[in-house]
Amino acid sequence: MFFWRRKNKRENTGNIDVPQQFLEKHKNEKINKNLEDTLVILQQLLGANDDIVVRRFRVFKEFSAAMVYCSSLVDHTQINMDVLKPLMSTSYRDETWNSNRLQEIILEETLYHSDLRLESDLSKIVRSILSGGTLVFIDGMNDGFVVGTRKVDKRAINQPGTEQVIRGPREGFIEQLGTNISLLRYRLPTADLRVKTMEVGRVTKSKVAICYLEGIASPDLVEEVKDRISAIDIDVVLDVGYLEQFIEDNHMSPFPQIQNTERPDKTVAQLAEGRVAILSDGSPFALIVPTVFHQFYQTPEDYAQRFLMASAIRLIRLVSLFFSLIASSLYVAIISFNPELIPTQFAVAVAGGRAGVPFPAVVEVFVMEVSMEILREATVRLPQQVGGALSIVGVLVIGQAAVSAGFVSPITVVVIALTTIGSFATPAYNAAMALRLLRFPIIFLAGVFGLYGVMVGIILIINHMLSLRSFGVPYMSPVVPGNYQGMKDIVMRAPLWWMKKRPASLHTANRERIGDAVIEKLKQPPSNTLNPINVGNRKEDPPDGDTT
Amino acid sequence: MQLGRIVKVLSWVFLVIPFLTGCWDRLEIEERAVVLAIAIDEVKPEAAKEERDVSHLSGEVPQSQKRMLRLTVQIAVPGRIPLGPAQGGGASGEKPVWILDVVGHTVEDAIYNLQQEVADRLFLGHLRVIVVNEKVARKGLQNMNDAFRRNPEIRRAAWMVISKGEAADIIKLNPELERVPALYLLTVLDGAVKQGKMPNAFLGVFWSALTSKGQEAYLPYVEIQEQKSILLAGLAYFRGDKMVGTTTPLEIGHFMAMKGINPGGYSALSDVPGESGAVLFISSDRTAKIEVEIKNGLPHAKVKVHIEGDLAEKSNAQFNLKDPKTIAKIEKRIGTKAGKAFEELIHKTQKQGSDILGIGEIVRGKHSAYWNQSIKTMDKWQETYKEIPVRAEVTISIRRVGMKAE
Amino acid sequence: METPREITVLQAAIILISTIIGVGVLALPRIAVLAGDTGAPLITLLGILLAFFGLVMITLLGMRFPSQSLIRYSEVILGKPIARFGSIVIIVFFAVLTALTSREFGEVVITSVLRRTPLEVTVIVMLLLAVITTRNDITTFAYIHHFYSPLILTPVILIVILSLKNAEVVRLLPIWGNEPNGMFLGVLTVAALFQGFFILTMIIPAMRRPDRAMTASIWGMAIAGGLYLIIVIATLAVFGAEEVKLLLWPTLELAKTTSLPANILERLDAAFLAVWVTAVFTTLFSSYFLMIHAATELFQLRNHRMFSLFFLPFVFIIAMLPDNVLEMYKLIEIVGRFGLLITVVYPTILWMVALIRKKRGKSHAARKNR
Repeated sequence: MFFWRRKNKRENTGNIDVPQQFLEKHKNEKINKNLEDTLVILQQLLGANDDIVVRRFRVFKEFSAAMVYCSSLVDHTQINMDVLKPLMSTSYRDETWNSNRLQEIILEETLYHSDLRLESDLSKIVRSILSGGTLVFIDGMNDGFVVGTRKVDKRAINQPGTEQVIRGPREGFIEQLGTNISLLRYRLPTADLRVKTMEVGRVTKSKVAICYLEGIASPDLVEEVKDRISAIDIDVVLDVGYLEQFIEDNHMSPFPQIQNTERPDKTVAQLAEGRVAILSDGSPFALIVPTVFHQFYQTPEDYAQRFLMASAIRLIRLVSLFFSLIASSLYVAIISFNPELIPTQFAVAVAGGRAGVPFPAVVEVFVMEVSMEILREATVRLPQQVGGALSIVGVLVIGQAAVSAGFVSPITVVVIALTTIGSFATPAYNAAMALRLLRFPIIFLAGVFGLYGVMVGIILIINHMLSLRSFGVPYMSPVVPGNYQGMKDIVMRAPLWWMKKRPASLHTANRERIGDAVIEKLKQPPSNTLNPINVGNRKEDPPDGDTT
Repeated sequence: MQLGRIVKVLSWVFLVIPFLTGCWDRLEIEERAVVLAIAIDEVKPEAAKEERDVSHLSGEVPQSQKRMLRLTVQIAVPGRIPLGPAQGGGASGEKPVWILDVVGHTVEDAIYNLQQEVADRLFLGHLRVIVVNEKVARKGLQNMNDAFRRNPEIRRAAWMVISKGEAADIIKLNPELERVPALYLLTVLDGAVKQGKMPNAFLGVFWSALTSKGQEAYLPYVEIQEQKSILLAGLAYFRGDKMVGTTTPLEIGHFMAMKGINPGGYSALSDVPGESGAVLFISSDRTAKIEVEIKNGLPHAKVKVHIEGDLAEKSNAQFNLKDPKTIAKIEKRIGTKAGKAFEELIHKTQKQGSDILGIGEIVRGKHSAYWNQSIKTMDKWQETYKEIPVRAEVTISIRRVGMKAE
Repeated sequence: METPREITVLQAAIILISTIIGVGVLALPRIAVLAGDTGAPLITLLGILLAFFGLVMITLLGMRFPSQSLIRYSEVILGKPIARFGSIVIIVFFAVLTALTSREFGEVVITSVLRRTPLEVTVIVMLLLAVITTRNDITTFAYIHHFYSPLILTPVILIVILSLKNAEVVRLLPIWGNEPNGMFLGVLTVAALFQGFFILTMIIPAMRRPDRAMTASIWGMAIAGGLYLIIVIATLAVFGAEEVKLLLWPTLELAKTTSLPANILERLDAAFLAVWVTAVFTTLFSSYFLMIHAATELFQLRNHRMFSLFFLPFVFIIAMLPDNVLEMYKLIEIVGRFGLLITVVYPTILWMVALIRKKRGKSHAARKNR
């Protein structure tokens, strides 16, 4: 429904140019032959910035020239060695000199820099200076030389902080888009990897890259993604999360409908399944569309581990997900409404534990859950040096002191701990967050209606999830609508050779993932190459220390 | 779209409004007076004077409800039962339960009277054992069953037992093995079921048997041994809702054998024909079948039981078990003895017209033409049961003789 | 309104199952046993067959008119005035059915679990749950049924299996009952519990392969009916006929008798009832959905959302009409039997008239050019 509405809006708006002071005044203006004129214009536009450097010199010791760059964005060694040195040191004299010839000589024989082009459009010139290019103007020439000398400091590629794995690649995306694409490219040395870039953001002009595998990703999907992104009109895009909020299907839902990841390997895996990745300059996260719910409790590690262990661990994760949502409300419902459900001995004991607590279980759990959320949020924000102090306070206050003060009952603490830890076992932070939030209304319902309320709450949530779509893909697929192939990767992680097909819900052009030959090979009995009986019959001289 | 949104918001408001008005049923576990056991005794009608007008005015009791009951209840005291393994002997001086008694004309009446004197709301969801005095049971349980059936908190898996003597004494007993007396009684009963000492005759089974046209009900029958422990003294069998007799403990075993209930938990001491010694036979597994034939307008029942078991003891004996003939002899001997004992039990119940084996059910199920024609009602079957010939046929197999070879 | 053809045969069968299985399960053994004594399973089976006959009629009609629902094709078959009257009766009937379902469940909840909560609150919560959810389209409708179906089937099967240790075969005998009184009426009442199958008439126009609707209805009826049958058998075998007659909700009592191994839960009644909320929800959801979609088609509106809230007050008032549980069950019986005229007899008439007048809907392929 939301999808339909947006489409209409898009038709109405059309394309509005981003208003910018500079562009309004100097649209389509070109520089002229006079060097001084050009410099004056540039001075007017950029002169207020102290990091704009104008360096005058003579080309071939003869032609007066000037170099303009933004000193904070460029690599000075490059300018010195690759631009200034060849231009200044060579002396060139030829009979057939004219301005055209000079341009050719400089382009083809003098400057040995790979990223070099001519530009005469003023707005583009300004844009190149501001993105780290060095402009060389030579008096009497219509065009300036743009040399790509950009150098911005970047972080090293290290382990992604939000998605740790025990087994699997350790690389994470960083802020630079170029580096991120290179991380993808080196994993996908195929011509089918397509990277389409566009600019979003009136002020930030953030580069956004849409990556997909041609021939696998559905072309309609790629079109739709491009469509939705190009419709975004906002001043700043500082993180890819800004984009997420514009392109998701249901803005009101607590559930994330787009996955984000810091891991190139995960991104590549999703690309290979036929999804589309969206990266943005300045953000170490990639968005992956479309996303369905089961992706949020899968990790790339599941596929690196052997399938039995991976399935068991995934099952644990599912249980913890379920726990984080309803354990506390079930506790409330049983304690305050249906104590006959638990064993008599235990019920009597629980009553003893709660005997001194002044609040009803619902309030108790609510207060504890809120304080756990505070503790969690504080732990995320606080400087690392005081982390230890906080955890001590947290453990003491929440655990020991609260119980001995008679503020909460010991079993409540156990239950709250379970739900909190359970929510941390969910690999996707945003999905875990959604479930954490949703448990508050369920606790409330449990406090009013007991088990009946818990069930009503769960039904409401599930109904909502079933009505969600991510780029048209049902959120709960492949469980609903049932798809046998897809089910192999939901609760258990089937052996890789079972999962022969790409997810049907993505309508990929090519569905086969695994060749038939390898499956045939797997069916063969293993050839016991080093079987002692075979090897031992050869009667070789046993080496020293071998006692066969 | 605007209208749709308003409607959406409104519907949410409507959804939330009923919630805000209150948590009608929320009642914290520590605010409930958890009743663990109830004992029902009969008291003289004069005791009515003790009663205050709680559920009725004093002069206005229905004529049929003149008899007075005394309810003794065991309520768990929250703080006294520690969570987890008990550390030290801290609270051992304090009793973990509170024992109260109250009188009333009916069970519900008495419970309401009790509520009047207990601060927290009585909670019957954890009521595990109901002890009924034999005298009360002999006069009929119809009314209290009705009360227990209607109350949704009562478990069908709770136990109802008949006590010889005052039921309250059983509730007041202080056993050493378990802190909570009611739970001890529960353990006694559950343990007996597990060891094969008693059929799993909980309240639901009792009720089903009670209503069945062709079967009479039975309940465990307990007795206090020297003010200390609880003895499982047999089964109390009923005719309709009235208790009519009891069995001996060994007869529980006979009954279970005839019903084919496993595991077998009873043993039999038997002599060996032609030898001087005796052997102790422990039954372990039984299969039973009751066959009914209609002859001369009367059902003839034949109970076929096959018992498997072990020899546990051989005393004063010169004979050798290695001889297969000896084993066969012993088997046969025990078989005939058991058959006789079984028939005796049946005759005992036949005298009272209490068909606890459910022969009537088999007649009803398998000979429904006969049943529809000449029995039809429960009363008629109770009369017919007295007259029908029943034979018991027991075969024994000794499977193991223990670790000793001969 | 063009509906997307997205529902598979599997989903259609599941919709039938989860629509049919609902609050009726709780009282079914008592109804069957009262009518047929130990012949209750037989009565249930006959009831299932009767209901299945109605379902077959609906399916045949649906396959004859693969792109229309009953509201539309009845107009083609019988002509507008009569068909419209029929449609209005259908809508009213399903409004009453929805109301009684919610009321019945409300009664169960307040009698056994939430004893001090007002009846109105439990009823309106259930109804609101259905109302909010009916605002989705038919694809989501199918998804919701699909997702909950295991939640509906598992607890029943679990309870039946766990209760088997207390079962006795002789209680099932004789299979035709000792004193079957009112067997015929009993069959009607049992068949009335299956009336949710009528939802199929709304499903067929949205099915991907309407020609395979018969497979869906056979499977749906077989599973739902089979489940009802094992519940009746299990209840009877555990309690015996005479005891079942005394129990208002024997199935709930069955849950009360069983406990999970290893003492995880000591009794299952409250837990069973909690899980059963989903089953009741799907039933309510279907009948409410049927009602508002029928109304939407009758008045030829584009958007069914308008009606979803509009009907709520009426349904709620009808739900509040019976004075007590016993009167409610009397009403359920009467309404149910009367309803068979609508869900079984009416489709049969329609089908026969359609055969005689040789009316036939446009085929699947031709529909695209409409």
